[in-house]
Amino acid sequence: MISFFILKWRGIIFTYLFLSFFLFGCTRPEDNAINEPGKNPSAIDSEKSGPELHTIEISEMKFHPDQINVHKGDTVIWKNNDIVAHCITEENTKAWTSSKVPAGASWKMVVNTSANYFCAIHQVMKGKITVE
Amino acid sequence: MKQFRKVIAAAIVYSVILAAPVSAQKTSKLTDPEIASAAVVANQGDIGFAKIAKQKSKNADVLKFAETMATDHQSVIDQAVALVTKLKVTPKDNAFSRKLTSDAAKTRKMLQSKSAKTFDKAYIDNEVAYHKGVIAAVENVLIPQASNQELKSLLQNVVPTLKAHLEHAQMVQKMFSKK
Ligand SMILES: [Cu+2]
Repeated sequence: MISFFILKWRGIIFTYLFLSFFLFGCTRPEDNAINEPGKNPSAIDSEKSGPELHTIEISEMKFHPDQINVHKGDTVIWKNNDIVAHCITEENTKAWTSSKVPAGASWKMVVNTSANYFCAIHQVMKGKITVE
Repeated sequence: MKQFRKVIAAAIVYSVILAAPVSAQKTSKLTDPEIASAAVVANQGDIGFAKIAKQKSKNADVLKFAETMATDHQSVIDQAVALVTKLKVTPKDNAFSRKLTSDAAKTRKMLQSKSAKTFDKAYIDNEVAYHKGVIAAVENVLIPQASNQELKSLLQNVVPTLKAHLEHAQMVQKMFSKK
Protein backbone atom coordinates (compact mmCIF):
# COMPACT_ATOMS: atom_id res chain seq x y z
CA MET A 1 0.00 0.00 0.00
CA ILE A 2 2.77 2.39 0.91
CA SER A 3 4.72 1.52 -2.18
CA PHE A 4 1.58 2.13 -4.24
CA PHE A 5 1.46 5.68 -2.91
CA ILE A 6 5.12 6.22 -3.58
CA LEU A 7 4.60 5.05 -7.11
CA LYS A 8 1.61 7.28 -7.57
CA TRP A 9 3.40 10.30 -6.16
CA ARG A 10 6.36 9.59 -8.31
CA GLY A 11 4.00 9.56 -11.28
CA ILE A 12 2.55 12.91 -10.29
CA ILE A 13 5.96 14.49 -9.74
CA PHE A 14 7.14 13.16 -13.08
CA THR A 15 4.05 14.59 -14.71
CA TYR A 16 4.87 18.05 -13.41
CA LEU A 17 8.52 17.72 -14.31
CA PHE A 18 7.58 16.55 -17.75
CA LEU A 19 5.05 19.28 -18.37
CA SER A 20 7.33 22.08 -17.26
CA PHE A 21 10.26 20.63 -19.15
CA PHE A 22 8.21 20.07 -22.25
CA LEU A 23 6.26 23.28 -22.33
CA PHE A 24 9.15 25.56 -21.64
CA GLY A 25 11.81 23.46 -23.24
CA CYS A 26 10.37 22.88 -26.66
CA THR A 27 8.66 26.08 -27.64
CA ARG A 28 11.68 28.15 -28.57
CA PRO A 29 11.21 29.70 -31.98
CA GLU A 30 14.61 28.51 -33.20
CA ASP A 31 13.41 24.94 -33.16
CA ASN A 32 11.16 25.26 -36.15
CA ALA A 33 12.67 28.23 -37.83
CA ILE A 34 14.74 26.42 -40.41
CA ASN A 35 12.51 26.86 -43.40
CA GLU A 36 12.78 28.24 -46.88
CA PRO A 37 16.47 28.52 -47.42
CA GLY A 38 17.52 31.15 -49.91
CA LYS A 39 14.59 33.41 -49.14
CA ASN A 40 16.66 35.76 -47.04
CA PRO A 41 17.03 39.19 -48.56
CA SER A 42 20.36 39.76 -50.17
CA ALA A 43 21.67 43.26 -49.77
CA ILE A 44 23.85 42.99 -52.85
CA ASP A 45 21.36 42.47 -55.63
CA SER A 46 18.44 44.35 -54.10
CA GLU A 47 20.15 47.69 -54.50
CA LYS A 48 20.00 47.36 -58.26
CA SER A 49 16.97 45.19 -58.87
CA GLY A 50 14.28 47.31 -57.19
CA PRO A 51 11.65 46.10 -54.71
CA GLU A 52 11.92 42.52 -53.57
CA LEU A 53 9.33 39.99 -52.46
CA HIS A 54 9.88 38.30 -49.11
CA THR A 55 7.86 35.28 -48.06
CA ILE A 56 7.00 34.47 -44.46
CA GLU A 57 5.37 31.14 -43.86
CA ILE A 58 2.89 30.72 -41.01
CA SER A 59 2.87 27.16 -39.73
CA GLU A 60 2.71 25.38 -36.40
CA MET A 61 1.61 28.63 -34.76
CA LYS A 62 4.77 30.50 -35.70
CA PHE A 63 6.06 32.95 -38.29
CA HIS A 64 8.93 31.47 -40.31
CA PRO A 65 11.22 33.33 -40.27
CA ASP A 66 10.06 35.43 -37.34
CA GLN A 67 12.57 38.13 -38.09
CA ILE A 68 13.48 39.61 -41.50
CA ASN A 69 15.47 42.50 -42.90
CA VAL A 70 13.97 44.30 -45.89
CA HIS A 71 14.49 47.48 -47.90
CA LYS A 72 11.97 50.29 -47.93
CA GLY A 73 9.36 49.53 -50.58
CA ASP A 74 9.83 45.74 -50.53
CA THR A 75 6.77 43.54 -50.40
CA VAL A 76 6.28 40.96 -47.68
CA ILE A 77 3.83 38.13 -48.21
CA TRP A 78 2.58 35.95 -45.35
CA LYS A 79 1.36 32.50 -46.37
CA ASN A 80 -0.86 30.78 -43.86
CA ASN A 81 -0.02 27.08 -44.16
CA ASP A 82 -1.37 26.36 -40.69
CA ILE A 83 -4.56 24.53 -39.71
CA VAL A 84 -6.23 27.61 -38.17
CA ALA A 85 -6.80 31.26 -39.15
CA HIS A 86 -4.24 33.87 -38.13
CA CYS A 87 -3.72 37.60 -38.58
CA ILE A 88 -0.76 39.91 -38.93
CA THR A 89 -1.11 43.08 -36.87
CA GLU A 90 1.31 45.84 -35.97
CA GLU A 91 1.95 45.34 -32.27
CA ASN A 92 2.62 48.72 -30.66
CA THR A 93 -0.14 50.95 -31.99
CA LYS A 94 -2.14 48.52 -34.19
CA ALA A 95 -1.13 50.82 -37.07
CA TRP A 96 -2.03 48.14 -39.62
CA THR A 97 -3.62 44.70 -39.70
CA SER A 98 -4.31 41.99 -42.22
CA SER A 99 -7.55 41.07 -40.43
CA LYS A 100 -8.28 37.35 -40.37
CA VAL A 101 -6.21 35.29 -42.84
CA PRO A 102 -7.88 31.86 -43.13
CA ALA A 103 -5.87 28.62 -43.31
CA GLY A 104 -4.52 28.27 -46.84
CA ALA A 105 -4.81 31.98 -47.63
CA SER A 106 -2.12 34.64 -47.79
CA TRP A 107 -1.74 38.40 -47.33
CA LYS A 108 0.85 40.87 -48.55
CA MET A 109 1.97 44.37 -47.74
CA VAL A 110 4.51 46.91 -49.00
CA VAL A 111 6.82 47.73 -46.11
CA ASN A 112 8.09 51.25 -45.53
CA THR A 113 8.85 51.22 -41.82
CA SER A 114 10.26 48.69 -39.35
CA ALA A 115 7.64 47.00 -37.23
CA ASN A 116 7.04 44.53 -34.48
CA TYR A 117 3.95 42.58 -35.36
CA PHE A 118 1.90 39.80 -33.79
CA CYS A 119 -1.15 37.67 -34.37
CA ALA A 120 -3.98 39.34 -32.47
CA ILE A 121 -5.88 36.05 -32.48
CA HIS A 122 -2.97 34.17 -30.86
CA GLN A 123 -1.08 36.81 -28.97
CA VAL A 124 1.90 34.58 -28.32
CA MET A 125 2.80 34.63 -32.05
CA LYS A 126 5.22 37.43 -32.76
CA GLY A 127 7.43 38.63 -35.61
CA LYS A 128 9.67 41.52 -36.56
CA ILE A 129 10.45 43.39 -39.77
CA THR A 130 13.51 45.59 -39.91
CA VAL A 131 13.82 48.13 -42.74
CA GLU A 132 17.51 48.56 -43.48
CA MET B 1 18.27 12.47 -22.35
CA LYS B 2 16.14 10.43 -24.74
CA GLN B 3 15.90 7.70 -22.16
CA PHE B 4 14.91 10.27 -19.55
CA ARG B 5 12.13 11.53 -21.80
CA LYS B 6 10.88 8.02 -22.37
CA VAL B 7 10.77 7.31 -18.66
CA ILE B 8 8.86 10.53 -18.06
CA ALA B 9 6.45 9.84 -20.91
CA ALA B 10 5.81 6.39 -19.47
CA ALA B 11 5.26 7.95 -16.05
CA ILE B 12 2.71 10.35 -17.49
CA VAL B 13 0.73 7.66 -19.22
CA TYR B 14 0.94 5.60 -16.06
CA SER B 15 -0.32 8.39 -13.85
CA VAL B 16 -3.07 9.30 -16.32
CA ILE B 17 -4.26 5.72 -16.25
CA LEU B 18 -3.99 5.60 -12.46
CA ALA B 19 -5.94 8.81 -12.11
CA ALA B 20 -8.70 7.83 -14.51
CA PRO B 21 -11.61 6.33 -12.65
CA VAL B 22 -12.76 4.60 -15.81
CA SER B 23 -11.44 1.11 -15.33
CA ALA B 24 -12.78 -0.23 -18.61
CA GLN B 25 -10.14 1.70 -20.53
CA LYS B 26 -6.99 0.39 -18.84
CA THR B 27 -4.32 -0.54 -21.30
CA SER B 28 -6.48 -1.50 -24.28
CA LYS B 29 -5.42 0.27 -27.45
CA LEU B 30 -7.84 2.74 -28.98
CA THR B 31 -8.94 2.15 -32.58
CA ASP B 32 -8.90 4.96 -35.15
CA PRO B 33 -12.69 5.47 -34.98
CA GLU B 34 -12.35 5.76 -31.19
CA ILE B 35 -9.45 8.19 -31.50
CA ALA B 36 -11.45 10.31 -33.96
CA SER B 37 -14.34 10.39 -31.51
CA ALA B 38 -12.07 11.39 -28.61
CA ALA B 39 -10.47 14.14 -30.71
CA VAL B 40 -13.84 15.61 -31.70
CA VAL B 41 -15.21 15.42 -28.15
CA ALA B 42 -12.10 17.07 -26.68
CA ASN B 43 -12.46 19.99 -29.10
CA GLN B 44 -16.21 20.27 -28.49
CA GLY B 45 -15.49 20.46 -24.77
CA ASP B 46 -13.49 23.64 -25.14
CA ILE B 47 -16.07 25.19 -27.48
CA GLY B 48 -18.66 24.57 -24.77
CA PHE B 49 -16.55 26.40 -22.17
CA ALA B 50 -15.99 29.29 -24.60
CA LYS B 51 -19.76 29.66 -25.08
CA ILE B 52 -20.23 30.08 -21.34
CA ALA B 53 -17.40 32.62 -21.24
CA LYS B 54 -19.08 34.65 -23.97
CA GLN B 55 -22.25 34.75 -21.89
CA LYS B 56 -20.70 35.44 -18.52
CA SER B 57 -17.48 37.39 -18.95
CA LYS B 58 -17.08 41.13 -19.39
CA ASN B 59 -13.30 41.02 -19.56
CA ALA B 60 -11.94 41.90 -23.02
CA ASP B 61 -8.95 39.54 -22.78
CA VAL B 62 -11.09 36.64 -21.65
CA LEU B 63 -13.68 37.30 -24.37
CA LYS B 64 -10.99 37.46 -27.03
CA PHE B 65 -9.40 34.28 -25.80
CA ALA B 66 -12.78 32.52 -25.76
CA GLU B 67 -13.45 33.67 -29.32
CA THR B 68 -10.11 32.21 -30.44
CA MET B 69 -10.88 28.93 -28.67
CA ALA B 70 -14.28 28.68 -30.35
CA THR B 71 -12.94 29.30 -33.88
CA ASP B 72 -9.73 27.26 -33.59
CA HIS B 73 -11.33 24.21 -32.03
CA GLN B 74 -14.11 24.38 -34.62
CA SER B 75 -11.52 24.36 -37.43
CA VAL B 76 -9.86 21.35 -35.88
CA ILE B 77 -13.21 19.56 -35.71
CA ASP B 78 -13.95 20.50 -39.33
CA GLN B 79 -10.64 19.02 -40.44
CA ALA B 80 -11.10 15.89 -38.36
CA VAL B 81 -14.59 15.42 -39.81
CA ALA B 82 -13.29 15.99 -43.35
CA LEU B 83 -10.56 13.41 -42.80
CA VAL B 84 -12.77 10.70 -41.30
CA THR B 85 -15.29 11.28 -44.08
CA LYS B 86 -12.53 10.83 -46.63
CA LEU B 87 -11.24 7.73 -44.84
CA LYS B 88 -14.80 6.42 -44.46
CA VAL B 89 -14.28 6.07 -40.73
CA THR B 90 -17.22 6.61 -38.38
CA PRO B 91 -16.13 8.06 -35.02
CA LYS B 92 -16.91 5.54 -32.32
CA ASP B 93 -17.94 6.36 -28.80
CA ASN B 94 -15.65 4.75 -26.20
CA ALA B 95 -14.70 4.84 -22.53
CA PHE B 96 -12.16 7.61 -23.11
CA SER B 97 -14.47 9.89 -25.09
CA ARG B 98 -17.31 9.24 -22.63
CA LYS B 99 -15.02 10.28 -19.78
CA LEU B 100 -14.16 13.48 -21.66
CA THR B 101 -17.87 14.16 -22.21
CA SER B 102 -18.84 13.66 -18.57
CA ASP B 103 -15.88 15.70 -17.30
CA ALA B 104 -16.82 18.54 -19.67
CA ALA B 105 -20.39 18.48 -18.36
CA LYS B 106 -19.09 18.81 -14.78
CA THR B 107 -16.83 21.68 -15.78
CA ARG B 108 -19.69 23.50 -17.52
CA LYS B 109 -21.76 23.13 -14.38
CA MET B 110 -18.91 24.51 -12.27
CA LEU B 111 -18.45 27.47 -14.63
CA GLN B 112 -22.18 28.22 -14.75
CA SER B 113 -22.27 28.32 -10.95
CA LYS B 114 -19.60 31.06 -10.73
CA SER B 115 -20.51 34.62 -9.92
CA ALA B 116 -19.57 37.41 -12.32
CA LYS B 117 -16.69 38.21 -9.98
CA THR B 118 -15.15 34.75 -9.81
CA PHE B 119 -15.97 33.51 -13.30
CA ASP B 120 -12.99 34.85 -15.29
CA LYS B 121 -10.38 33.30 -13.06
CA ALA B 122 -12.24 29.98 -12.88
CA TYR B 123 -12.59 29.91 -16.66
CA ILE B 124 -8.96 30.68 -17.41
CA ASP B 125 -7.63 28.34 -14.70
CA ASN B 126 -9.70 25.59 -16.28
CA GLU B 127 -8.41 26.48 -19.76
CA VAL B 128 -4.83 26.08 -18.55
CA ALA B 129 -5.59 22.73 -16.93
CA TYR B 130 -7.75 21.53 -19.81
CA HIS B 131 -5.14 22.27 -22.47
CA LYS B 132 -2.43 20.62 -20.38
CA GLY B 133 -4.59 17.52 -20.10
CA VAL B 134 -5.52 17.45 -23.77
CA ILE B 135 -1.90 17.96 -24.89
CA ALA B 136 -0.79 15.05 -22.69
CA ALA B 137 -3.60 12.84 -24.01
CA VAL B 138 -2.92 13.70 -27.66
CA GLU B 139 0.84 13.26 -27.37
CA ASN B 140 0.93 10.21 -25.14
CA VAL B 141 -2.23 8.33 -26.06
CA LEU B 142 -3.88 9.43 -29.30
CA ILE B 143 -0.82 9.96 -31.53
CA PRO B 144 1.02 6.77 -30.49
CA GLN B 145 -2.14 4.69 -30.83
CA ALA B 146 -3.38 6.06 -34.16
CA SER B 147 -2.91 3.56 -36.99
CA ASN B 148 -3.78 5.64 -40.05
CA GLN B 149 -0.92 7.92 -41.04
CA GLU B 150 -3.16 10.85 -42.02
CA LEU B 151 -4.99 10.70 -38.72
CA LYS B 152 -1.66 10.58 -36.91
CA SER B 153 -0.34 13.61 -38.77
CA LEU B 154 -3.53 15.59 -38.24
CA LEU B 155 -3.14 14.96 -34.51
CA GLN B 156 0.50 16.00 -34.70
CA ASN B 157 -0.51 19.20 -36.49
CA VAL B 158 -2.94 20.03 -33.72
CA VAL B 159 -0.30 19.93 -30.97
CA PRO B 160 1.35 23.32 -31.76
CA THR B 161 -2.12 24.92 -31.78
CA LEU B 162 -2.91 23.43 -28.38
CA LYS B 163 0.43 24.58 -27.01
CA ALA B 164 -0.09 28.14 -28.27
CA HIS B 165 -3.54 28.10 -26.63
CA LEU B 166 -1.94 26.99 -23.37
CA GLU B 167 0.65 29.78 -23.51
CA HIS B 168 -2.09 32.29 -24.32
CA ALA B 169 -4.21 31.03 -21.42
CA GLN B 170 -1.23 31.23 -19.06
CA MET B 171 -0.62 34.81 -20.21
CA VAL B 172 -4.20 35.80 -19.35
CA GLN B 173 -3.98 33.81 -16.11
CA LYS B 174 -0.94 35.85 -15.05
CA MET B 175 -2.90 39.08 -15.44
CA PHE B 176 -5.46 37.79 -12.98
CA SER B 177 -2.87 36.73 -10.45
CA LYS B 178 -1.46 40.27 -10.47
CA LYS B 179 -4.82 41.83 -9.58
CU1 LIG C 1 -2.59 33.29 -34.96
